[in-house]
Parts: sequence; structure tokens; C-alpha cells
Amino acid sequence: MSLERETDFMRYRVSHSTRYDYAAPVSLCHNEARLTPRRLTWQLPEPTRLTVTPVPAVLQTRRDVFGNEVNYFSVQEIHQSLKVTAETCLSTGPRPQPPAVGAWEAVRATSRERVACRPYQLDSPFVARHAALRDFAAISFTPGRPLLEAAAELNQRIFEGFLYDPGYTTLATPVLDVLEARRGVCQDFAHLMVGCLRSLGLAARYVSGYLETRPPPGQPRLVGADASHAWSALYLPSWGWLEFDPTNGTLPGERHLITGWGRDYGDVPPLKGVMSGGGSHALEVAVDVEPLAVDPA
Amino acid sequence: MAEIDTLTRPWLGDYETESGFDLLVTSRGSLRRRWQPLLTALERLDPDTLAQRVEEIQRLLHENGVTYGRSADDPESLRQWRLDPLPLVITPTEWQGLEGALLQRMRLLDALLADIYGPRRMLEEGVLPADALFANPGFLLACDRLYGKRGPALSLLAVDLSRDSEGRWCVLADHLQTPTGMGFALENRIAMARAFPGVYRNAPLRRLAGFLERQHHALGALSPLTLDQPRIALLAPGSAHASHFEHAYLANYLNLALVEGSDLVVRDARVWMRTLGGLEPVDVLLKQIGDAWSDPLELEADSLIGVPGLLAAIRGGGVGVANPPGVGVLENPLIAAYLPRLCERLLGEPLAMAGPESHWCGETAGLAWALADFERLRFQRVDAGHAISEPKTLSPAARAALREALVANPEHYVASRPLEGATAPFMTHVGGSLTPATFNLRCFVQARYDDHRHPAGFEAMPGGVAWQGLPGAEMATSQCVKDVWVSATSPQPHVSRLRRASQPFVVTRDGADLPSRVAESLFWLGRYGERLDGHARLLREAIYRLMEQDQESLADPALDDLLRLLGLERGLVDPVQSRFQHDREQLLSLFKESHPEALPNLLARLVANGRAVRDHLGDDAWRVFNQLHQEGVRLPQAGIHEGRRAVEALITQSAAFFGFCNETMPHHYGWRFLDIGRFIERAMLTLRLLRVALIEAPQAAPEADGAPLAGDGLWEVVLATTDNASAYRRRYRSELYPAAILDLLLFDEGNPRSIGYMFKRLERQIAHLPQPQDTPYRSDEARLLIRARAALHLADLDALAESALLPQARQALSILLDALAEPLAALSQAIEHSHFSHAEAPRQLIPMQAP
Repeated sequence: MSLERETDFMRYRVSHSTRYDYAAPVSLCHNEARLTPRRLTWQLPEPTRLTVTPVPAVLQTRRDVFGNEVNYFSVQEIHQSLKVTAETCLSTGPRPQPPAVGAWEAVRATSRERVACRPYQLDSPFVARHAALRDFAAISFTPGRPLLEAAAELNQRIFEGFLYDPGYTTLATPVLDVLEARRGVCQDFAHLMVGCLRSLGLAARYVSGYLETRPPPGQPRLVGADASHAWSALYLPSWGWLEFDPTNGTLPGERHLITGWGRDYGDVPPLKGVMSGGGSHALEVAVDVEPLAVDPA
Repeated sequence: MAEIDTLTRPWLGDYETESGFDLLVTSRGSLRRRWQPLLTALERLDPDTLAQRVEEIQRLLHENGVTYGRSADDPESLRQWRLDPLPLVITPTEWQGLEGALLQRMRLLDALLADIYGPRRMLEEGVLPADALFANPGFLLACDRLYGKRGPALSLLAVDLSRDSEGRWCVLADHLQTPTGMGFALENRIAMARAFPGVYRNAPLRRLAGFLERQHHALGALSPLTLDQPRIALLAPGSAHASHFEHAYLANYLNLALVEGSDLVVRDARVWMRTLGGLEPVDVLLKQIGDAWSDPLELEADSLIGVPGLLAAIRGGGVGVANPPGVGVLENPLIAAYLPRLCERLLGEPLAMAGPESHWCGETAGLAWALADFERLRFQRVDAGHAISEPKTLSPAARAALREALVANPEHYVASRPLEGATAPFMTHVGGSLTPATFNLRCFVQARYDDHRHPAGFEAMPGGVAWQGLPGAEMATSQCVKDVWVSATSPQPHVSRLRRASQPFVVTRDGADLPSRVAESLFWLGRYGERLDGHARLLREAIYRLMEQDQESLADPALDDLLRLLGLERGLVDPVQSRFQHDREQLLSLFKESHPEALPNLLARLVANGRAVRDHLGDDAWRVFNQLHQEGVRLPQAGIHEGRRAVEALITQSAAFFGFCNETMPHHYGWRFLDIGRFIERAMLTLRLLRVALIEAPQAAPEADGAPLAGDGLWEVVLATTDNASAYRRRYRSELYPAAILDLLLFDEGNPRSIGYMFKRLERQIAHLPQPQDTPYRSDEARLLIRARAALHLADLDALAESALLPQARQALSILLDALAEPLAALSQAIEHSHFSHAEAPRQLIPMQAP
């Protein structure tokens, strides 16, 4: 019993570092960072330390329409490289267990009633509903099948039937191409899952964050080898959002750390910006999710 | 029938209306009283005078380049469009009702906007279906909680109205992202007042000037800082946009800086304008670009007309924006369908003026209503574009397809009952009687602020723009627009207001705060103007020579050189007949757009730069500029004779244009850049001409004994194209002295066509340009000119004059010409580099384009 509890609660230090090197000087850039983990009942972040080099002249913090923390900053001195690092320590516990919700058609009927869920049922810039997505989902969503069972199977089918292939897709690859080619990266699989669920009339959202990766047994953990991760969540009326990680075929647990959510990637990019000048640029991203010893309770 | 004055009877003629309601006559056929004074006044003018006045209106508008929503490049579309001398008359009682309804609409939209981007109670309460927002492309998530901190969120509203067959006013559309038309209303009013001073003066009608004066105040009240003179700019999409005329006109009238996105930059969470003197703060923006394009950081990422960081600046309280991004959500037909309910809920009062009955088909009841009466309704899509279909106008197949699409995706459509429009009288041709036609009316509402900048409700403009067309037809597609006269119960003061209306409140603003882009456009306006003039002069000379030349005789050698100067192919030597044809075609090709250096292309670049600085040119200069432009539009049709006449006209008009610029533009930085552009170009052209005449032509000519002056013919050309022939003749009669010509064209600083004069003028202008810092060193521009002038001053005139006679000594002259020309090209680059600080197009860190 005590052994199990130890694995249930985790503590991490997350460091997400992005560096741009420009071919030509940049005189001004405006950026938005969504790098702060969200405060949730099962995820307690300490304050995030955001370090930007060169030092930004303006830094504003706000919450976007989804409740994600957004840090706007502008670098106003001439620079040829930009480095943005966010560091957060946080502890996570197990997610609440979902209730049994019955047949998926019944859930579809009730989830439409909640106003706040509506944006997650409609098309969004990266994810549009489509008959092909519905047909793909329908294999698991047979008439009268319990929602959780069907969704878990869809999650598993994407995990098993699709190849993780970082070279194949870009941000602009449509979900339908991913479905056709059966390959992609976590963003693509999250969008695919969201698209399938929406095409059935359910409410689904895109979740952005990190996943602790464990080295193979006997090998040391590689610092900075992690990446940001993305998965999806399904709305269960009168309960909340149940997450699915189709890239790994799992239900996210304490190793999935959440920074934000939205309708699709476009609502929650970790970093975006507009700059004047710069020419071409080289990008270097290092993410490190370091497990820390849990404080003795 | 007693109210029909015998004087007005001729107007009615066979005026017969089939609509249920007409604004001129009652259903019993009697004239409505409101028109009587106006028609009587018009009738007092005899038909000739009336025709003259109508012509006058057209001329005023045409000359001012009034081109609302239509292409100024298409003279046909401009010709077809006109301002009706008969305004739309609204009685005081009618206006009272209309005004109340307009103000209510503004209050309602403002309250709804605050709710939509705030608590969204209307959604939770079910008054507005969630899809009206979340499936509405105008709803911008990034604008959530952007509103409602201080005063109303909405500053301006343009509403399109019409009347139905029972005479009720109906709302057809709301314009909030880019509420245009006010400048147009004003321009129409001024044209009417000038063409019909008597009629206008005697009519007790409400004036427009006060509304616009208060608009300036209301915009200033949006400034986040309390300033006596908040700096306000009108953010426009640029001179290629259909509404550019109005943007320039309004900016000028309200004394706002007319800017484009690339003129602005966000730093320190404030908005700044790039000017010659550096960055100048902007406190308030009157936004006339679409919401989605206003900030590439948070909205449409590939927008090139927006300002990156604008939303952050708004949130940070760094700038006030009228209307702020996000208001487009209210323009969707989906919202209109729910306004009656929303009005009850938000304002606690019934909606005073509704649109035609409409229902969103996404609701079961709405779809049932739409299907039951499918054939007679009109269907508007809720996604961007709001495309409209009317089953009754479709083919049976298209109708069936629409019905199918409606049933498959009912949530994409709003169904509404088409408006059976009332009719208003239009004077379709002068001297004839009036004819009834359906019409649209655009009205304007704005926020008011008291002297302490506290919100003081809203007000409606007592007037507007009316246009002929089916209810809902766009103004830009109409053939005929009308001024709108709201009658007053008592005479209105008129003299001072109108005088004031035709001038900006503050006379000048042309200093170091000139936007860099404007300076750049003025510079290129000067360069293209001069290039056009130079080409036109060469072409004129070439046409003269071609026409004078006997088709049988030997070709004029100067014509070859002229062709070379014009960048054309030189003719074959034989046979003479085909050579004439060849040269003629070559010359005519300069009137066609296919040739890159052809006159229409030069003119197009001139016009593009001129339009971009419309608000910096005087009215007279602008009028001539429009004539120049219209002359240019006809060029491609010209044959050789018309061509000569057209070229003459271009030369005269461009001289008149620059003359007006010199006379009327304040001699500040803007004018200096224009002048520098002109004289750099003129010096370049002159040097090239001299090079061809003095170096290349003699070299190319056969070195026949006893004919060393092979370039003789060209000397005349040089004198003629530089307009120096008479100056030369006065001094030297008709003898050709190379030394004299060189003196006149190179050294004589008193001759405005000489290189010496041009350099001196450039040097003086450049000395007056703003310098970035106090530096003990001369600027690059100044150094380049010193170099050029030194080369000129150190030249030995006598030795150079020899060279024209001695081919082997041309080397010295060639070196001199190079030494004069080379700094000029560098000068142009140096000016661009120091003063126009090219704002690089902002780019995305990571392309965020959705598939």
C-alpha cells in the first residue's frame, strides 16, 4: 500500500528552453509564451521562472479565454539570438477516476447543452469535422457502446495503427493527410483524436504539456532530450474532461504535465512571435522533465 | 391636392410608383409636403442652369477624385456614377423616430459586445445560441475581456437602412470594423452646397460639421493619457484600397495622421509612428482595417497591414482604438436574427427598428420556418463572406442544391424575408421628370464625451448617404447616390460651419512628424513625375521628327538617337518606307502598357505614389493630378497624332501639378522630399541626354570627312527637350557653339535646366532635412553632393568644348559626365537609407498557419 502511494505522487522540475539564432539582426520582436503549467486539483505548480535573453522591455501576464497563462513580451534591443527559458517545479498526483457515463450517443446529446463546451464541438482552424474522421471513429463507436470503452479503443487504435514519424508531417499537415498516411507526431495524433470525437458530435480539446520519459533500464537519463507533448481530452457531462494520449495509447497520469489546452494547437503554442528583420533562423529547443525526490509528507 | 404647387407639377410628370410606399407621393398620388420647398427652389432654376449645376457637381466630385468603392482607373465606372441633385429629405418628426432607433441600436450593440467578450450571460441564459458566437468567424478569442474598462466599447457605427412597403424603416446591415461613408456624406454635402448655393442656404437643414467636430473630440477621449492634444491616427489599409479616397478625406478633415500598418510600431506597449524625426507616440487609432488583420501576433498571422503587438498595447492601456478589434462579431447575420430578444433582455425595452424577419436555421424552429417558405426567402451564410442566395432568382437545379445544402447543414444559414423596398424619387436625367426607385440609406452613430472626457451617450449624424438600388445592394455598386437632408424646424447657422467644413481645423502638421512612408512616396512622386516629363518631352521631339521627315527622304539621324534615349530599338536603314513604319510603331509602343518604360506605366507609378500622399497635397494640385491621371487612362488608344497631343497635355499637366505643389504645399520636409526626387531624376535624365548627344551619337555616326558634327541634329533635340531652345537662341542666335551649350546645360546655375542649378538646389534642400543626431560630420547625402559639385566646378569648360569637335578628346567629357552621374545614384540610395528606414515586413517566429 505505501509503495503504491509513492508512485502516485510525483515531483518534477520542468525546464523548456528555446533558442533562435538569426542570420540578420532583429530590431524588435513581439512574443507570446504559454509555458506555465496550469494549477489543477492534481497538479500543483510552484511559480514559473521565465528567463528571456535579451531582457524584454515589456512583460505582461494574462489569462487567455481558455484560462491558460500567457506571457507577452517584447524585445526591443537589436539582437541576433533570442533565448526563452521557462523553469517550473511542480507536483502531480493521480487524476480523478471518471464515472461510468453510459452509451456514447446519450453523452453526445447532453454535451451539446453546455455553452462552454460548444467551441470544442465545432470546427477550429487546425481541426475540422469530416466524414472520413467520423467513419474512422465509427469502428470503435458502435451503436450503444459505452463512451469510455469506445474512446479508449479509438485511442488504442491510433497508437497501434499509426507510425510515429517526426519527418513526415509539419504544422501545416491537415488531419486528413495524417489519417491517410497513418503517420505523424503527437500533435497530429492529438488533432486526429480530437477531430474523430468532434466528427461524432462530442466535445474534445487539445492538451499541451510534457511527458516524463524514462530511460531504458540501466541507462542514465539524458538531460534535455525530452520534448513538449500533446494529447487530447473528451468532455464528460457533469464530470469534466477525460484525457487520452493516442501517441502512447494511454490514459494520461501523473507523468503527463499540463501547460494549457484549447481547441487545437493554434490556441496553445508554447511560443509564438512576430519579428522585424532576422532573415532566416535556426531553432534549438531543449526540454527537460526531471523527476525530483518527493518531500516526505 | 392643395399642397401641390403649380411650380412643382412638371417634376411629377408621369411619376408612378408600384411600390407600396413612396417617399415623394402618398398612395393617393399627392405630393408629400416636405419636398415642396426643395422642388420649388429647383424649379426656379431654368433647365439650362440646372443642367449646368448638375454638371458642376459631377465635375467637383470627379476632380476631387471621389471614388468611393470603385476603381479610379476605370473611367467608364466613374462616368456612370453620379450624385443626384435631389437629396433625400427627412422631416424633423421622422428624424426624431429614426434617431431614437439608431441610438438604441448603438446602446444595444455596445451592451452586447461587452457581454460577448465578457461574462457571456446571453449565452448562459439562452438568449443567444452558443453557435452565434462560436461558429461566428467575427468572434475573436484573442479579444476576450478586451472591452468594458472605461466608457463604451463602441465608438462608431454605420447602419444601412431602407424602408419597407409600408414605410417602416428597416435595418439591413451594421458596419463596425470599418465604418466608412462619413467622408463621402460630407463630400456630397459640400458639392451640393457649392452647386446649389441658393437652395442649400435657404433650406432649414441640419448641418454635418458639428458631428465630425465632436468625432474628433470623442476620438481624443479614448486616449489612455489625459492630453490636451492627443495624437490620433487613422489606420488605413493603403492607397490601393477602394475606400482610400474617403480615408484620406476624413484624415484631412479631422486632422488625423493617415497611416498604414507599416508606419506603426508597438514598443513599450504603446503605439508609435515612424516619422522622419524618429518615433512619435500615437494615443488613439481610428481603425479602418478589418479586425482579423489588425495584429499578426494574436490574430491573422500573415497580415501585412496590421500592427504586431496591437492587442497587447490595447490591453496594457497604451492606446485607444475606435472601434477595437473584435466588433466584427456583431456584423454577422446570425446576431441580427436575435437582436429583438437581446434588446428586451439587455436594455429592457423593445427593439425600435428591426431588420426584415430572420431566423437562424441552426434552430429547429428556424429551419422549419425557412423550409416552409423556402421559395420566397433569402439565405445568407454565417461564415466569412456572408454570401447571399435567393431561391427565386436561382435555376431549378441550383434551387434544389441550395435546399439540400440547407437541410444538410442548417446551422450555416440565416433565412430572412426579402424586403419589399419603398421607393424614393430620383432625377435620372436633367430636365426630365422624377422617377421612383428603391434606395438604401447609410446613417452614422458615434459615442459622445463631455468636456471632461466622460462618456455622454451617443449621437446620430443628422444626414448620411443614400443610394439607388435594391434594399441591401452595396453602395459601391450603385449608379446614383444622394445627399441626405434632415430638415430642421428652425433655420440653421450655415456660413461658418461650411467654411470650416472645407478646411482642416489646424492648418499644418507637416514637420518632422511626417511618416517616413509619406516622405518616401513624395520622393518617388517627384522622381516619377520628372521621369514622365522627361520621357514625354523626348517622345514629343521624336514624334515631331518622325512627322516632319519626308517618307521618301533619308532618315533623320537624330531620330535614331531619340529612339535610343527612349529605350527603343533603332530602325533599319532600308527601305525608307518600312523604316518609317518601324519607327512609328516603336514610338507608339510607348503609349501601350506592354513596354516597361511606357508612359502608362510611369503614370501608374506616379499615381500610386500620389494617392498614397493624397492628404498631403493641396486641393488644386490634387485636381490637376486627377486630370493627369485621366489623361493617362486614354493613352493606350492614342494614334500618332493624338499621341502628340496627349504628350503635350502630359507635359503641361505635370508642370501644373508640380507648380501647384510648389505654391501650395508648406515648404517643410514633405515638399523637400518631393523636390529632391524631382531634381535627382531631372539631373540623371539631363546627364544621360548629354552623354548620348556628346559622346555616343558622334561615336556611332560615320566619321565622314568634313562632317565632324555628327551629333548636330541632336544638339537641337537637347535644347528642345530641356526646353532651352529659346534661351539659347536669345543668347547665341542659331549658331551652334558647343562651349555655349555646355555652359548653358552644365554650368549656368541660373538656368533651372542646368546641372549646376540642380546640384545647388539639391544641396540646399538636403541641408534642411532632419538629421538623426547632432553630429559634427556631414551626412552621406551632403558629402555626395559636395563631390558632384566639386567635379563640376573643377571642370575646364574650354577644354571640354573642344572635345565635341575632336573625337579623340571626348574622353575628358565622358569622365566628367561619369563623375557627375555616379554620386546621383548614390545620393538616391543614401536618402532612402537615412530617411525612409524601411520597415521590414514583420515575420512569424514559427509559421502558425493552419492547414
